[in-house]
Amino acid sequence: MNSIGEACNDLKRDYDACFNTWFSEYFLKGHTNDSMCAPLFKVYQECVKRAMKDQQIDFHEVEKNLLGTEQERKPPQKPS
Amino acid sequence: MKIWTSEHVFNHPWETVATAAWRKYPNPHNPAVIGTDVVERKVVDGVLHTHRLVSSIWYFPKWAQALIGSAKVCYAREHSEVDPAAKNMILRTINLTFCRHIAVNETLNYVPHPSDPSKTLLKQEAVVTVKGVPLNHYMEDLLANKISNNAGKGRQAMEWVIKKLNDEVKDLTRSTDEILNSTKRSIDDIASSAKKSMDDISQKAKKSFDDIQNLRSGNFSEF
Repeated sequence: MNSIGEACNDLKRDYDACFNTWFSEYFLKGHTNDSMCAPLFKVYQECVKRAMKDQQIDFHEVEKNLLGTEQERKPPQKPS
Repeated sequence: MKIWTSEHVFNHPWETVATAAWRKYPNPHNPAVIGTDVVERKVVDGVLHTHRLVSSIWYFPKWAQALIGSAKVCYAREHSEVDPAAKNMILRTINLTFCRHIAVNETLNYVPHPSDPSKTLLKQEAVVTVKGVPLNHYMEDLLANKISNNAGKGRQAMEWVIKKLNDEVKDLTRSTDEILNSTKRSIDDIASSAKKSMDDISQKAKKSFDDIQNLRSGNFSEF
């Protein structure tokens, strides 16, 4: 599975592999310490946040109630 | 506002289903999902909290694009919690791109089946809200039908991933004939239940398609 940022794909793959192992072998068996994959996650997360900024994706957009306010975006106007 | 709910039973224990949920993408049943990223993740009081960004391609008929906007790659934000002690996994998704007109809130909840702990129950709910767009109820029905179709594919996807996981385990432990036979029996059960769901969903999809055709040809007597 790809990342939204192409530069993050390898970092994502490495982190996902670590996470999947941690999740089924440790976390589900009651070991809730999440430090095992922390270094990989840190590097991957920084890359993702950079990619989101570049693509102007606002993750917290959904928390603002935009409908009915000035910030509500209108449908594109058709040229007449 | 439109609410759509559904329940489904997987013939696998909760741990298997929870593990498969993280490995759901990519899979051949949801080709529209093109990217997933973990934006935040941490364990709080033994519960794993995760925030993910999911990118997918939605294809809307051209006439709807004029109303919704021409966004083709759509982003959704998913917040999930996994509680291994209580054996509860819940995922809540809300789309980001459409927030200007349409809000789709979807929730998936995986728990061990109340009467059979070797199985897992999935409860699914979607709430669609459309504001400021003409034909509100129609758009909501259209989206609810789309969600219904995707839900069927999502369940097939889960079965596909679980089978893949089961195959990996078989390779690792050098399976015996006994394991092979019981997997085949499970897959037969799953296939017949999936087929029945797909038949239901196909009928609903056909009705929704007929509605679109009616609208296009100006047959407004139904609305």
